[in-house]
Amino acid sequence: MAMTDEARDTRRRPSPPTRAGGGAVPGRRLHYSGYLWILPAMVLSVGLLYYCIIYTGYISTLDWNGSSPVQTSVGLQNYLDILQDPIFWGAILHTVIYFVGTFVVQTTLGLVFAVLLHSRVQLKSVYKVIIFVPVVLAPAVMAPVFRQAFSADGQFNGLLELVGLGFLRHAWLAESETALPTVLAITIWGSTGLTFILYFAAMGQIDPDVLDAARLDGAGNIRTLVSIILPEVQGTTVALLILTAIGSLKLFDVPFLVTAGGPNYSTEFLGTYIYRSSIQEGHVGYAAALSVMLLILAVSIAILLSRRNRQNSEAI
Amino acid sequence: MPKLTLRRSARTMVALTAGTIALALTGCGTSAPAGGDGGSATEGTVEWWGWVPEKGVAPAYIEAFNEEYPDIKVNYKLLTIDGYQAAIRPALASSAGPDVFDVASGAMFEQFKDFGVDLGPAAEEELGADWQSQVSPIGVSSFTDDNDELKALSVGLGFAGPVWINQDIFDEYGLTAPTDFTEWKEVCAVLEKNGVGCFIQGAQQVAFNQDTLQAIADTINPGLFTKATRGEAKWTDPDLVEALTAWKSMFDDGIMQEGALGQQQYPDANNGFLSGKYAMVQMGYWYSQYTKADTMTAAIGAAGVAEAVPFTTVPIPFPSAVDGGTPGALFGSPDYGLAVNAKSKVRNAATTFALWLSSATAGQQIVADSLADVPSLNGVSPQLSGLVDESVQLPALQDLITQAGTVTEDRLLSNADLATAIGVAGTTVAAGDATPAEAAKTLQAAAEKAGVTF
Repeated sequence: MAMTDEARDTRRRPSPPTRAGGGAVPGRRLHYSGYLWILPAMVLSVGLLYYCIIYTGYISTLDWNGSSPVQTSVGLQNYLDILQDPIFWGAILHTVIYFVGTFVVQTTLGLVFAVLLHSRVQLKSVYKVIIFVPVVLAPAVMAPVFRQAFSADGQFNGLLELVGLGFLRHAWLAESETALPTVLAITIWGSTGLTFILYFAAMGQIDPDVLDAARLDGAGNIRTLVSIILPEVQGTTVALLILTAIGSLKLFDVPFLVTAGGPNYSTEFLGTYIYRSSIQEGHVGYAAALSVMLLILAVSIAILLSRRNRQNSEAI
Repeated sequence: MPKLTLRRSARTMVALTAGTIALALTGCGTSAPAGGDGGSATEGTVEWWGWVPEKGVAPAYIEAFNEEYPDIKVNYKLLTIDGYQAAIRPALASSAGPDVFDVASGAMFEQFKDFGVDLGPAAEEELGADWQSQVSPIGVSSFTDDNDELKALSVGLGFAGPVWINQDIFDEYGLTAPTDFTEWKEVCAVLEKNGVGCFIQGAQQVAFNQDTLQAIADTINPGLFTKATRGEAKWTDPDLVEALTAWKSMFDDGIMQEGALGQQQYPDANNGFLSGKYAMVQMGYWYSQYTKADTMTAAIGAAGVAEAVPFTTVPIPFPSAVDGGTPGALFGSPDYGLAVNAKSKVRNAATTFALWLSSATAGQQIVADSLADVPSLNGVSPQLSGLVDESVQLPALQDLITQAGTVTEDRLLSNADLATAIGVAGTTVAAGDATPAEAAKTLQAAAEKAGVTF
């Protein structure tokens, strides 16, 4: 569409908004029309999302089972209870461990796989499929498989026996010390394919001349990885950092389906605890307060990460 | 942009916005008015949601109902027991919920009783003024609210306490059913020597742990566990500490399968027993359905066994935790009741269905014959036919049914926090994170916090 001279001029030198008349009229019309078009989406967002968030905030001040007509206002008591709740703090700790563990391992594995499959390897497509298949398998389908595989007489212990590591046998999901690492391992197995694909795509954007130049300058594999590839895929790493942080906070499916948050809350996360409190125990007010805490954490982390990202961009 | 077009766009936007607001408010709304006068009592389409009966059983119930009421179509939606409350709560809060829904006694009834209509007058109309004397008393008391309104009709009673054994495995190794823990350990040693698992429990699903704990406690001091749930005895009572000690010994002395805390009763323990990998499992009366060859064959197939062959399973009293002690008894409560949604537009047809299944002789007979529940209506007995091995199973089942008629102890608790605390006590002891005495002390404190008055 051809742009008029007036419009071009407005884009170059936007007029300050004025109360009436002159060149400000077209601009005001444009604003009005723009707001009108985004109104449905805004109402949907405000109606479905923010109304529900506000409603959750209101419920969090109640002692209510979610269905009874009797709703007792307790003010901020639910929040005070949460701060003294060891299960809540346990869930926070598990979330931190989960975030650090999955990010470090997934990122490393994904990067290594991507580097390997960008080199001269035969049957690349087969390897890509093998690495990516776990991503598309639903946790609900895999949960009984994992409970069996990591049981005392399961296939994982059988494998350990086979390779001479039988002394490491455990009932992996039944012991508080090993259940959380097992949940991490299951998640890493399920998500590394995604990390790999993102890194693989990002590495495809690196200019081959840069890599060739590095080789000519005598850089080895490790030096090339550290000094050329890692900085080039930094954007992907930051995206994965944010995705993993968000995923850690809202984690539910794997711990709920595989360990039900146990044994003894050793794999309890905020998502599973909210579900347990509201659905299974009928403490909907308390669960709403937990949800608000989760929201505060998520927003805080998002702000923190985006600020860091902006600072890094400005530094570059 | 021409004025007319802009105005039309504005109107479109306003309409879209209004629609969106309506949609949003509908999505977040929590109430809807009751629908009309409830419609006809003999025709209509009734939506029924539940976690029981099982998929293969429900069509038989509906088919039998339709022989008497051909103009009422019943659609059954089967949900998992774990996901039931998550599904039913928003459904009932909206106007799109089922017309009839399952409700368990205890904590679940406390949560959903307000969504049901008072079914007392309908029961009186169906059975007469003395209707309460014709049905199980606990079926009535468990579903009557504080206003003396009957909010659900008990379909069947569920009992727990026995251990089910694979008689074929016991016969193969010349074993007899254990009566106490010492004998139990000996049986397990023989089975282990022959590469067969002894006893399987999905201790990750703590509700079933409560059954086992109660069964153990009843062999030490009958009735004490129930008294503690009612606040008539303390959880720190030495006999209850001993029960927790015996529970721990099941994990340490080779009775329970290794890694029980990482497995669920359904599907893991159920599949482990039905596939013949384990010789014993702790399940309730509902397991009686697997004494029937056709039900057992289907269940074994569902457990992942190709070319399923039914085996003989029989209930035995829970072995005594004390040598020479009292064998375990049954404890129970209504397995489930049917509530009629107060917002349903076909309340009367829904009530007809709920009444037929819970109070009519034909409905209760088919419930009894499924062997999943003990019927709520007095005078109805199951037809015990089609058993895998009638000579062994028939006397055992008859004995179980007789025992069920004498039960005085509750199974499902109305206090969800107390149930959670019992579950935590069981798993902390089993995992070795607390001694039985410490766990009992924590449980006592949690029970007091949950509102139990001692």
